[in-house]
Amino acid sequence: MTQPAIIAAGRDRAAVVQELRRLLPGTVDLRTAVPFGLPALDSCLPEGGLAYGALHEIVPEPHAISAALGFIAALLAHFFSPPPCGEGSGVGGGRFSKREKLFFVLPAYGFRGHGRLYGHGLRALGLHPERLILVETARRKDTLWAIEEALRSGAPAAVAGIVDKLDLKASQRLHLAAVDCGLPLLLLRPAHDLESSAAATRWRVGTAAAARDRFGLVIRPRWHVSLERCRNGRPGEWSVEYDHVAHRFSLAAALADPAHACRANQTNEAAAGRQAHCA
Amino acid sequence: MLAAQTKQTKQQPADKPIAPDRPFVLAVASAGGPRIAAMNEAAEAAGLAVGEPLADARAKAGFLQVRAADPVADDAALRRLTLWATRYTPTASRYDEASGADGFFLDVEGASHLFGGEDKLVADLAARLHRFDLPVRLAVADTAGAAWAASRFHVQNPCILPPGRQAEALAPLPVEALRLAPDTCATLRRLGFKTVGALLDKPRAPFAARFSRELLRRLDQALGRIDEPLIPIVAPPVYHSLRYLLEPVVTQDAVVALASRLMQTLAHVLTRDDVGARVLKLSLYRVDGEVKTLDIALTLPTRSVPHVARLMALKLESAAATDDAGFGFEAVGLAVTRAEPMPARQTELTSAGLEDRTERCAALIDKLQQRLGPSSVRRFEAVASHIPERAERLAAVNGAALQSSPPEAAKDTQADAQTDAPTRPLLLLPHAEPAEDVMALVPEGPPRRFRWRGTTYEIEHAEGPERIATEWRRAPPVSAHSRVSGNPDRLCEDRERQALTRDYYLVEDSGGHRFWLFRQGLFDRETQNATWFVHGLFA
Repeated sequence: MTQPAIIAAGRDRAAVVQELRRLLPGTVDLRTAVPFGLPALDSCLPEGGLAYGALHEIVPEPHAISAALGFIAALLAHFFSPPPCGEGSGVGGGRFSKREKLFFVLPAYGFRGHGRLYGHGLRALGLHPERLILVETARRKDTLWAIEEALRSGAPAAVAGIVDKLDLKASQRLHLAAVDCGLPLLLLRPAHDLESSAAATRWRVGTAAAARDRFGLVIRPRWHVSLERCRNGRPGEWSVEYDHVAHRFSLAAALADPAHACRANQTNEAAAGRQAHCA
Repeated sequence: MLAAQTKQTKQQPADKPIAPDRPFVLAVASAGGPRIAAMNEAAEAAGLAVGEPLADARAKAGFLQVRAADPVADDAALRRLTLWATRYTPTASRYDEASGADGFFLDVEGASHLFGGEDKLVADLAARLHRFDLPVRLAVADTAGAAWAASRFHVQNPCILPPGRQAEALAPLPVEALRLAPDTCATLRRLGFKTVGALLDKPRAPFAARFSRELLRRLDQALGRIDEPLIPIVAPPVYHSLRYLLEPVVTQDAVVALASRLMQTLAHVLTRDDVGARVLKLSLYRVDGEVKTLDIALTLPTRSVPHVARLMALKLESAAATDDAGFGFEAVGLAVTRAEPMPARQTELTSAGLEDRTERCAALIDKLQQRLGPSSVRRFEAVASHIPERAERLAAVNGAALQSSPPEAAKDTQADAQTDAPTRPLLLLPHAEPAEDVMALVPEGPPRRFRWRGTTYEIEHAEGPERIATEWRRAPPVSAHSRVSGNPDRLCEDRERQALTRDYYLVEDSGGHRFWLFRQGLFDRETQNATWFVHGLFA
């Protein structure tokens, strides 16, 4: 019998357990990214999916904070989604267990006007509110501190937050913390003029008419998502739908019906018009 | 039991300097003019007595300095002193009103040997109080009542009654030593019972018949026949560890280092008993008798020394407790005021340390709470209500929530996910905001256009209504009456409005913004002019 060398050395227990976990097959997940399951999107991202250990910025278009938050909630739910039946490692995230918590850092300043996160609404997007732990901060300094502390502790499965001002240095700091711990950090950036940042990706999320079933009822939210910046990747623009039951993203189908297509164009023009108006 | 009676805990208001060597009294207003509440030695020498009318006292003493007594400040000072006295034993309780409110009891049973015996403890206490300039009378006895009596009326000042001989010691003391009401004492004296000893060998029945229950109760308490409940000034800790320092410490680092060393000693005991600390209390005893306490609550029971040290550092930073260290802290105590079972468990190799994560989660929450405040970390808790704003509240995160059983939660999610469409908004406005210029079909049509926060939205698609009525138990009782009369009472208008039925619509405008609107009130049945509100935003 060969004695593992680690036991002989008088190392502390945590290190020994860590070492054993590394030696056992299948206990450490080596995947570093969670794919969307959409080849069009995944091919734009350098690792074939959204990287785990990285800072991702989600920027809402004007009047689209709820859409951007919805996109974040959908991403978080997607991280947790179970792998498809019969496949060991499939399209879904599946890396995290259901009991692991998500930390959402919400500043008490500046965000009040948009209302508060509603647990039943999160549940309707497939994200169980019991997984979420809300951290309320009163000052900007505390917000960044809480986010970094949550990342460094290695306790949550993912960290999300709302940060209005983030300079390059602070964003580098947060990105490094996310890289070190291998945890995804999703930041909502409701800012008018965005500074340059160290984020791995920057998404801009706008509203779009929801997907309807054949009776004309809303069944899936749809967002106009554009990947504005992506390190080592390509930018792109898509209309993404999210299925809250399967936790799956899909691209909005091209509209074959000319009447609908006409209306969709109109809505796009109207949205563009409003944006111009806002600017 | 040790009783300490301080003669001059009474606070002196400092508006005008007083001469300490001349007669000085504190006066309290009473029926028939002000009376003396407390006095100094010079006044005592002049033949004054506590309770005497102030007018008589002035006549007797000639020159008299008078200030108004401040019972609130007295109480605070006594509390401070009693807190300080917890450096000797965790169970310290101040005198209540019946005992004179001018001293404290210490339960030194099991604590005196730490100081080398009762006599050494008493000497140490006397020396320290003397340094605070407090004249004090101390007594140690088997019972609180006997100690109180001995501290007031025994000839020796630090007086230690031998165990089991309370009756002998108390016999020569006057009846006032039994902590009785003044009129009871007066009646006893009139009947010729001048000392406690006179009462001891008499049959009890006549006393019980002629006096209030108080007399025999106090007698029994002093002799240890019945227990005397005392209320400790701080809840007695489950585990306690205290360290006296030769040199006082001032800096935060030193305090944290000491606290972690104390935690180390506690950790052994906690491990032995299979429990972990949920609430910790750090007491810092300042050289000048001030005591600072810091409470630290933990999400999960813990025995980890570094974790507690980190929390202490954060707490000290935010509380700025070491800012006014004065001449430094001469003793530091750490107590576990709440402990919970924390059985040893097997580390799992294969599940990638789920328990580990839960523990780290709890540690993170503790840390966040220390800096951001106890109510900053919260979780959603569903409430059984159909009214959207009442259907949920934010609750504190506790250990149970962190360890919530996953299978149930999973089932729950699946059951919910069966519903086809998202029917609840992602963002809920704290208060429903009125939508203006709403164009909708009367009586029950969906809205076509509305204005909210200065923007007009053309509605392309509306789903609904989802009708949510007030819960019957919240409906105002007057509603039936006013509905008939059609003239609602002004006072009840607000509640009336709350009680109206709401028709919720999911609407989508031409730009793809999705809102949750409701119309308040049913036409003709509840109101004549229904108003529209925006209540939430969908993803």
